[in-house]
Amino acid sequence: MDLSNRDFSYREQGLIASLFVTLIVFGGYFYSAFTKLALNPAMPSIAELIFVVILVIVFESIMQIFIRLKNTSQSEDERDRLIEKISYKYGYWVLSACTWFLLVQLLLDATFDHLTVFSTPSGIFHLLLLFFVLAEVAHFVVQLYYYRRGL
Amino acid sequence: MSQQTLAEKVGVTRQTIIAIEKDRYSPSLEVAFKIADVFGSPFEEIFNYQESEVI
Repeated sequence: MDLSNRDFSYREQGLIASLFVTLIVFGGYFYSAFTKLALNPAMPSIAELIFVVILVIVFESIMQIFIRLKNTSQSEDERDRLIEKISYKYGYWVLSACTWFLLVQLLLDATFDHLTVFSTPSGIFHLLLLFFVLAEVAHFVVQLYYYRRGL
Repeated sequence: MSQQTLAEKVGVTRQTIIAIEKDRYSPSLEVAFKIADVFGSPFEEIFNYQESEVI
């Protein structure tokens, strides 16, 4: 993988921004949610979730506008589409593996049963949300990897 | 001819032209033929097949 080449394309810059926003906003949300879970295993409020989504949209929009202004060429070609298609496959595998892990855990009801995260609806809700975010992160990281390494 | 000019003529991004030059992307037949067409050369003069290393 060629990391010495710092000539990031418009698409790569957009991906780095999306990855950064996802990690910061959802990282903060999950840190707060999982630390509070042991003390208060209540379901999160809809307002709390809407706030997180709005935060992602606002930060993402600001960064994408900034990147668009910086780059004159914003076109997409066959290589971009192929890389995106491949990355969806990896995102699917991450989501699939995590979901199967949770399903088996719930079915066997044994290994981690003492943990609040596996035994309360709120814990399971946050785990499922975390799996979706992890799949999205994998989707971004794989694209960046293929842009640098090549196909 | 600059990478940007070639990219515009072929209808891909400059990064794709760079990736093709550095052997980091194998273009579709359509793009490969367009590149050969821009240079006015036969296809086999621009591209040649090299078996990729199996890691």
